Amino acid sequence: MNRHLPVYLLIDSSGSMHGEPINAVNEGLRALLHGLKQDPYALETVLLSLITFDREIKEIFPLTSIEQVQLDEIIPPSSGATHLGEALEYLINRYYRDIQSKKDVMQNTFAPMLFVMTDGKPSDLLLFTEMSKKIKTLKFGAIVACAAGPKAKTEFLEQFADHVVSIESTDSSAFSAFFRWVSASIATGNQSGGLEVAGASHLPPPPAEVNIVV
Amino acid sequence: MTNTKTIQTNDGEIIYYIDEIIGSGGMKDVYFSTDRTKAIAFFRDPLDKTALERLEMITGAYRKGIFESEHKRYWEQLFCWPQSIVFDGKRHGVVLPIYSRHFFFEYGSVNNDFLEIKGREKEGKWFAAPTNRLTRLDERERGDWRVYLRLCLMIARATRRLHAAGLAHSDLSYKNVLISPSTGHACMIDIDGLVVPGKYPPDVVGTPDFIAPEVIATAHLDKKHPDRNLPNRNTDRHALAVLIYQYLLLRHPLRGKKIHDIHDSVNDETLSMGKEALFIEHPTNKSNRTDPKTARKSDQFWLDTNKLPYSITGPYLSKLFEQAFIEALHNPTKRPTADEWENALIKTIDLIQPCSNPKCVGKWYAFDNTQKPICPFCQTPYKGKLPIINLYTDRSGTGKFLPDNHRLMIYKDQSIFPWHIDRSIIPNERLKIEESSRVGYCIFYNDKWLFVNEKLDTLYDHTDTKNIKKIEKGNSVILEDGVKIIVKNSNAMRLWLIQTAHGE
Repeated sequence: MNRHLPVYLLIDSSGSMHGEPINAVNEGLRALLHGLKQDPYALETVLLSLITFDREIKEIFPLTSIEQVQLDEIIPPSSGATHLGEALEYLINRYYRDIQSKKDVMQNTFAPMLFVMTDGKPSDLLLFTEMSKKIKTLKFGAIVACAAGPKAKTEFLEQFADHVVSIESTDSSAFSAFFRWVSASIATGNQSGGLEVAGASHLPPPPAEVNIVV
Repeated sequence: MTNTKTIQTNDGEIIYYIDEIIGSGGMKDVYFSTDRTKAIAFFRDPLDKTALERLEMITGAYRKGIFESEHKRYWEQLFCWPQSIVFDGKRHGVVLPIYSRHFFFEYGSVNNDFLEIKGREKEGKWFAAPTNRLTRLDERERGDWRVYLRLCLMIARATRRLHAAGLAHSDLSYKNVLISPSTGHACMIDIDGLVVPGKYPPDVVGTPDFIAPEVIATAHLDKKHPDRNLPNRNTDRHALAVLIYQYLLLRHPLRGKKIHDIHDSVNDETLSMGKEALFIEHPTNKSNRTDPKTARKSDQFWLDTNKLPYSITGPYLSKLFEQAFIEALHNPTKRPTADEWENALIKTIDLIQPCSNPKCVGKWYAFDNTQKPICPFCQTPYKGKLPIINLYTDRSGTGKFLPDNHRLMIYKDQSIFPWHIDRSIIPNERLKIEESSRVGYCIFYNDKWLFVNEKLDTLYDHTDTKNIKKIEKGNSVILEDGVKIIVKNSNAMRLWLIQTAHGE
């Protein structure tokens, strides 16, 4: 039977993303989806969910097969906090809900992947620390966090992610490189594996524009 | 503006290429030559001495062994073989022929190519899953069941040739074989990872879905550990069997409903594809059957092993599927060889019938050895008389005809080829040009099936041994139950014994 790969994208939509950064993210997401639609493996396998976080957490769409994803522009509020902790909490609940509600589909899935992108630092530090610990106990195949731009703080992301990458700017070329890498990471399930013990955290090398932190 | 670069190959050729990556694989970045007749694939990581030596062998001795022969043109279609090695000061690379035009989608997906894949490579996965092949791809890209038999035959043949040369592919999968069902072409790519057993070990374990159980079950061990199983010819044989099963039945032979570890999907995958791997159609252990009800609608028919068991592929392939997935799944040395697959596919191609339902997804199906054949894909019964030619050969020259375990279904306008009249002729790369054209054909005329002799000088109707009639060129003979036809060829005599099934 076909095994699905759940992929959660957690995207910062706080006030600071306003303008070019969010345009670049929207563009990157469109390109990501476009690429996945052209990949016969992703079409058959991937279930994608997009969640945004600012002072509110929004599930733009729940786990959806690639073909059915309808992508709307993310519009951030003009200002406001970055509730990353709350976003992680939301995600953890979603994850449990997804496993429960779609038992037949979810029971036999590949370990899910989580990609988190933020340009700042969590405003809800207490909750963030708690959720960072909790998320590590879940069986995610890979958790990749991306610190975008000069104000993003990688040390927070390191608390919950297996891989932290930073991109120096928040322009479209930096984001598109990041989303290309996301796309390539999702596709690794269909590629030849190396001889070394292939753990779930085996990701393709990131593009030149991305600096690996962890 | 892109830059053009120049590089010299190890055999002295100067190649101009465009300094822009056109594609990336697991280990390589690919560039086009400026005249777009070649591609250069650079390895991202440095190659060690052994890897370089292996490339030298692949582009050198092994390439010459296969391509510097009279069958060169044949193999050039089936392999995208690295021609030479380049070094740009930092990275090693190989020069490759570019893929033929038929390996790029001409029409792409349905609804005016809603997936925007027109012009992209025809990666095998598009054709290996029901929803991909039958609901996403444009109808003109899909191909019918007969063409998949031919594509599998080409893949088996290419594998047989590698194995005959002493090589193992080590990463056979639908990613590494391009297929074009709309035109009937297949081509093996990514040959640079070939394994020379005992000499150059593999550097990949393979692609998920195709990795042999013994490789997965020992993947946690160090690569030098004595119990570690690495890709070799036996694992290629597993991958080949999976590939053929997948293309003909659109499902994976080991992916059933059984769950081995409910809490850890990584471990579950390792067990169900490795140590605990079990054929979904195992005759006695039924615990890993598929569960079509839980699948998408477009997958349900193909996942239903009751409605579409592997036996619909005919007796020759069924036997090999049983061998590959029951007997030899955990017993690598017993797996059917590429040569056996090739022969079974050749014979199966002679077993097929067109389906009379124009909307049938298969359009062709293998004869099921029953008196009343029914298309397994759409349940349309065969209508009318169906003549079958059973082939026998007098191998000792004493008039004792032994069965060749080969039979031929007749359909309108079907051609009869030299391999149907001479057991020693096999339709493969060695076929001479004069052997590749038909010697006669079959038609349905005035409610009778006829074989029309076009080229045979020594064709006799032996039905009545007291009244043997020669069938001259341009004449025909009626094909009905009990008719015996003998063809004398240079080596031996071939007997056709006609049987007739009666459809509705």
